[in-house]
Amino acid sequence: MLDHTADLALRVYGDSLEELFANAATGMFAQMVDLSEVPLTVQRVVSVEGVDNESLLVAWLSELLYLRETHREAYTRFRVQFPAPDRLEGVAEGGPWQAFERPIKAVTFYGLRIEYQAGGYRATIVFDV
Amino acid sequence: MSEQKIRKQDLKKVDDTLYEIPKGTRNFMRVPARLYADDALLEAALADLSVEQLVNTTALPGVVSHTLAMPDIHQGYGFPIGGVAATALPDGVISPGGIGYDINCGVRLLASNIHSEEFLRHRETVVDALARSVPTGVGRGGDVKVDRNEMDVVLREGARWAVKHGFGSQEDLSVTEEGGGFTTADPDAVSPKAKERGNDQLGTLGSGNHFLEVQEVAEIYDEEVARALGLFLGQITVLIHSGSRGLGHQVCTDYVQRFQKSLRTYGIELPDRELVCTPFNSPEGKEYWGAMQAAANFAWCNRQLLAHRVRAVFTETLKGKVKDAGLRQIYDVAHNIAKIEEYTIDGRKMKLCIHRKGATRAFPAGSPDLPPIYRSIGQPVLIPGSMGTESYVLIGQKGSIDATFGTTCHGAGRSLSRAAAKRGSRAEDVVRDLAKQGILVKGASMAGIVEEMPDAYKDVSRVVNIVHKAGIARKVARLRPLGVIKG
Repeated sequence: MLDHTADLALRVYGDSLEELFANAATGMFAQMVDLSEVPLTVQRVVSVEGVDNESLLVAWLSELLYLRETHREAYTRFRVQFPAPDRLEGVAEGGPWQAFERPIKAVTFYGLRIEYQAGGYRATIVFDV
Repeated sequence: MSEQKIRKQDLKKVDDTLYEIPKGTRNFMRVPARLYADDALLEAALADLSVEQLVNTTALPGVVSHTLAMPDIHQGYGFPIGGVAATALPDGVISPGGIGYDINCGVRLLASNIHSEEFLRHRETVVDALARSVPTGVGRGGDVKVDRNEMDVVLREGARWAVKHGFGSQEDLSVTEEGGGFTTADPDAVSPKAKERGNDQLGTLGSGNHFLEVQEVAEIYDEEVARALGLFLGQITVLIHSGSRGLGHQVCTDYVQRFQKSLRTYGIELPDRELVCTPFNSPEGKEYWGAMQAAANFAWCNRQLLAHRVRAVFTETLKGKVKDAGLRQIYDVAHNIAKIEEYTIDGRKMKLCIHRKGATRAFPAGSPDLPPIYRSIGQPVLIPGSMGTESYVLIGQKGSIDATFGTTCHGAGRSLSRAAAKRGSRAEDVVRDLAKQGILVKGASMAGIVEEMPDAYKDVSRVVNIVHKAGIARKVARLRPLGVIKG
């Protein structure tokens, strides 16, 4: 967790882009719930588009937030695929969850750049809390 | 994003309240940028990237005259919070970041006929009842449920829908900005996802920096205006600070995503991606404008429902115990919003899209947009302090029309990041400190209380004094919190 005066920032890593996206989702939910307590009874399928990797990342995480809020669920396991450079298909596994300690309201593009460095990917994502 | 840091020497002091960053300071600037601040607030602003963000707003296509930031400036997404930018219609852009994720986050002030001396005997009862009765929306949903078709009516009518269904009166609408609802809102431009998120949240307070506060009028600065507003020393008031919840956030998310393509379509280059925008008269621009208005209407409906709930609690807990348990609405303002307004620029009347991001409209006396009862005194401006600090009532002045596109500040700016706030304190300590000052705090989340600790915010009285001095909005009264309910 990093300092950001507006809200919440997370730095995430991954060996592959798929792993980065999965880790970003895990990190995001880790801010809201105790991941070890979430049941694994539901699978949600996500399909989003974007103009580049950054907008795909925002679209992926935003979709998870929408699912969380409308289904009252938390997710802890994620799988992501890129069938095309501007498309993402993913699965989020989790279960019913009522109490979110600090609900994340939105994912922003603030300072978002997915970088490839030393054999891995990384990005810093800022959330509106 | 433009990472070059703006230094103190880049700013020219215009007077005791105002600094300017000249047009040539960065090569992408189309107009100068102005910052209302004193020396201390300027130092604080230079400590994060808020001034860079202010400078970046001058790159918006169609931007007019100068962009601004108010003294409560702090780092936001794209636009700084406290930022104001006007773009010329029809081709100037509209930028969702200039409004914010929480569309029509705003403030409503209710006033009673009860004196605090009398009220303090019942404070615990009232605050407890408010905490139990007002839905915060964290965990538990709202109590007012609508189906999909009815949601569209809510989005079209705003607070008018609530009044129509018995939640408040016509009088409330007359003292709400925009009459409690834009008349040109477009529910069809709001995605099903956004409506789904909003479904369970109608009439809820929300979390983060949203709160409901019972206060007393602690000081009066302008006797005449205070009397005209019906404010007196020691009077019990209630402040509601809330917005458009998940629905507004989804609308912003949807259009920020959609406008990524627009940048290429219209050949727009920006120093910061979060300034993403599109020409106002483009198809997607018009849709966002329609959706933004709909989300704003949702927030006004929300505040109308919340106010109704507060009134019910006051009646239930105080009937028979005080002479009059009623609450009258003073005003309701938006501080994350865009408006179409007309201003004279270089002798020419221009229709502009005014972006107010963490900034409040502050129209002076004589403005036709004001209700008849306020037309001779000006628009009330409600400035919430953060949890546990004072709030202010101001009145709009002519200086706002001359210099700031009819705009003033919105509250204290955050200076401590949430992470730093958490590292520094424990919820029990924050609650105990506030209790020592005579403030009762009830919150749904302990983490929320710590992150919102008063020290995390810039000094609201400092901010208010600057806009007062600058002739933008004049101080009328200071309100002291007696009890706070937080999501």
